[in-house]
Amino acid sequence: MTTLSLKNVTRRFGGLVAVDSVSFDIGSTGVTAVIGPNGAGKTTLFSLISGALAPSDGQIFLDGRDITGIRPEDVAARGLIRTFQLVQLFQNMSVLDNVKAGQHLHTRGGIFAALARPGWARREETQIEARAWELLEFVGLSDHAHAFATALPYGQQRLLEVARALAAKPKLLLLDEPAAGLNADETKRLSGIIRRIAETGTAVLLIEHDMTLVMNTADEVVVLDFGKKIAQGLPEEVQKNPDVLAAYLGGVEIGHG
Amino acid sequence: MGDLSFVLQILVSGLGVGCVYGLIGIGFCVIYNASGIVNFAQGAFVMLGGMITHALLQRAGLPLPLAAAISIVLVAALGVVVERVVVRPLWNRQATMFVMILATLAAQIVIERLTLIVAGDQPRTLPVFTDLPPIRIGTIAIGYQFLWIVGGSLTIVTLLALFFRMTNTGKAMRACAINREAASLLGIPVSRMLALSFALSAALGAIAGILITPTQYTAFNVGVPFAISGFIAAIVGGFGRPFGAFLGGLMLGLVQAIAVVSLGAGLKNVAALSVLLVFLFFRPSGLLGTSK
Amino acid sequence: MTSLLATTLPSRFRWTDTLAWLPWIISAGIVGYAFLSGGYVVTLVVFALIYAVFVIGLNIFMGFTNQVSFGQNAFAAISGYTSAVLTTAYEWTTLPAIAVGVALAVLCAFLIGYPTLRLKGHYLAMGTLAIGLITYEISVEWSSVTQGYMGISGIPPLGIGAYEVTSDRGQLALLVVIVLILTFMSARIRTSRLGRAFFAVAGSEDAARALGVDVARYKLASFILSAACAALAGSLFVHVVGFVSPEVFGLHMVILSFTMLYVGGIGTVAGPLLGALIVSLLPDTFRAFKDYQDLAYGAVLILLLIYAPRGLAALFDRYVPAKKVGGAP
Ligand SMILES: Nc1ncnc2c1ncn2[C@@H]1O[C@H](COP(=O)(O)OP(=O)(O)O)[C@@H](O)[C@H]1O
Ligand SMILES: [Mg+2]
Repeated sequence: MTTLSLKNVTRRFGGLVAVDSVSFDIGSTGVTAVIGPNGAGKTTLFSLISGALAPSDGQIFLDGRDITGIRPEDVAARGLIRTFQLVQLFQNMSVLDNVKAGQHLHTRGGIFAALARPGWARREETQIEARAWELLEFVGLSDHAHAFATALPYGQQRLLEVARALAAKPKLLLLDEPAAGLNADETKRLSGIIRRIAETGTAVLLIEHDMTLVMNTADEVVVLDFGKKIAQGLPEEVQKNPDVLAAYLGGVEIGHG
Repeated sequence: MGDLSFVLQILVSGLGVGCVYGLIGIGFCVIYNASGIVNFAQGAFVMLGGMITHALLQRAGLPLPLAAAISIVLVAALGVVVERVVVRPLWNRQATMFVMILATLAAQIVIERLTLIVAGDQPRTLPVFTDLPPIRIGTIAIGYQFLWIVGGSLTIVTLLALFFRMTNTGKAMRACAINREAASLLGIPVSRMLALSFALSAALGAIAGILITPTQYTAFNVGVPFAISGFIAAIVGGFGRPFGAFLGGLMLGLVQAIAVVSLGAGLKNVAALSVLLVFLFFRPSGLLGTSK
Repeated sequence: MTSLLATTLPSRFRWTDTLAWLPWIISAGIVGYAFLSGGYVVTLVVFALIYAVFVIGLNIFMGFTNQVSFGQNAFAAISGYTSAVLTTAYEWTTLPAIAVGVALAVLCAFLIGYPTLRLKGHYLAMGTLAIGLITYEISVEWSSVTQGYMGISGIPPLGIGAYEVTSDRGQLALLVVIVLILTFMSARIRTSRLGRAFFAVAGSEDAARALGVDVARYKLASFILSAACAALAGSLFVHVVGFVSPEVFGLHMVILSFTMLYVGGIGTVAGPLLGALIVSLLPDTFRAFKDYQDLAYGAVLILLLIYAPRGLAALFDRYVPAKKVGGAP
């Protein structure tokens, strides 16, 4: 039961090989963490998977279908939704509208629906509004629904981005350093949220620096270093892997923080 | 053979105009490299170069070289004014690129309209710099103004190259072009570079305007077409590469000359604009540029 | 679910809710005053309303979708000239001529938009500017159809079939209806799935795509809606004035419409109307000296961009964030 399958995925930037022949599969449930020192190629890997960048080499399969090199919006339409390392909210919209906009794929109104507002469009609008509120409750932001996205403190902006991604009903959710900039409390809550997302049947692929979060939430860990996959396995195994320790020497301290 | 020499003749004049486009294109690059800003008021400098020289020559009765020199200095000063009054406040407020473009376009209109009010809408021209009959090579006549344009632009380009390579200020400007943040960390006064780039770019525009005016005319509204041509030159050369822009200008001058011969003078601007669209759509990185 | 519904309701009264009506009250006041006083003010307001049509469109593309076009005057010109030629040379009646003009402009917007909207930043700005300028050059050069600088005169007034709206007040009433309908439409677009997609594109193209929004398609849709408004304004203009020449749709139109958009408030619903009315009425004195007009517009625009980038309507609009205009391109 694999959802995502990477086969020798490679991306070069000029002479630099940012992602070097990476292959792994992830299942249709559970949380997989991608870890690695800064510049290891994690974000680039996410961009390749989500279609924002085209791989120089290799193939990517989602539910057995080849999605290599297709447009990001088409990848999204197949149920793979990502968030960004640097938060990318719709700053010109309210918190609630951000989450409503996240449901774009599961609604269909165009110019006619906008102007004439037939019954089905009004019902659709009611539904996505209700769903948006549920998601805001879920991440704990419903008190701020009418605030502007940019008015939120940074940590809550990250949570909003997660809620907005969930609005797209992902089969596979890619989170790029969701805990970056969060305090210990918020990180803990995020960890709970990620677990619950996974429990509802959405597979999660997670880039994270916070080892506590990784150890607490991930079912499996993939380690990248200089673009190459150097280890894969259960969190406890990876933690003891000498290659991984070497890669992190002088970098992030690995352990139960 | 009459036809061939006619075509050659047109190409020669195209080359002359091309040099001028090249200078304007370099003006775009200088500001763009220093700041990432595309200055849509560039045409105003070209127009003013010719207009102010004309005014000094006719009204104040100054000799041409002096009139031209004063005009260049005045226009360079105006460049700094535009930078101080329009660009700097927006820059400090971290305005978006689009707002900056709109503001500089508005500045272009303001300068244009002020010129109209002060100088009227009559087209003006300047006397040729050297009033001798053209040199004949075979059946082609080469006017002295053409030599002035080509010689003048090549001199400017050479001086610029030396400026960017040899002087500390020039090197600092190049450093800004490569990486503004890093340059500022190295202690290069990035904001002074911005003012300087506007002065330099305005002076280039003025020189271009002065060189070309004797062969054409100038009026309050010639700025925008010149700016567009300069912009095209810059794009063809791979935006941000001054010497590419100069070559781009030459190419545009030739294409325009050919268009005038084959389609008629009325379609000169349409031809230039079409070149622009072709490049934007198919080769936005220019002929010489690599895609970014 | 009950808690859900409870939070959906407006939780408390906001004084900004009443303030939100202020732009409308001011606009209604201006139009009402013109209607009652008649004469020259009516003409002024009629032109303002025609511009409002243009700016409503500009606002959809630039305010909602955060794109750039310096070339919307091209679509006004295409439709305006089509209207003019069909009603004069071919003696069509007004309504079908306008319909064909707008349709043709929309078709052009579709064909031009497809390659142009792939451009970004200053390339997009220059590309659209070029489209406006090419249209201008063509309207000058293609004199067998457009009669060059001379222009086309004797264009019939607005009307349906044999019924022509010739009185000033009649034109004013008709334009008020048109502007209200378009404003209502833009308000509805703003609070719909379509509008959210526009705002998403404006907010972050990367994020929009990652959520499955087909960015290229929505940019094109926004461009076409905007072009349709510009086209309608172009046709309305030629029928109201009875004359068209290349200058009508020149760079002047671009600067003027941007000034209106920024005075009124970019991205707001009331902004285009308010901006068009105020910019047309305030510099009434400039009218006598046409040369000063563009000067004033240009200077006002620069000042607005620097000191009040959100415009007047934004002061009353609680939907727009108190942040800089636009986003990173
Ligand atoms: N668009 C790009 N152009 C050139 N180099 C890039 C680009 N994106 C990333 N890189 C380089 O690729 C490497 C991997 O970057 P990234 O994927 O962001 O690492 P990580 O997310 O693991 O910190 C880095 O050396 C980075 O400089
Ligand atoms: Mg990263």
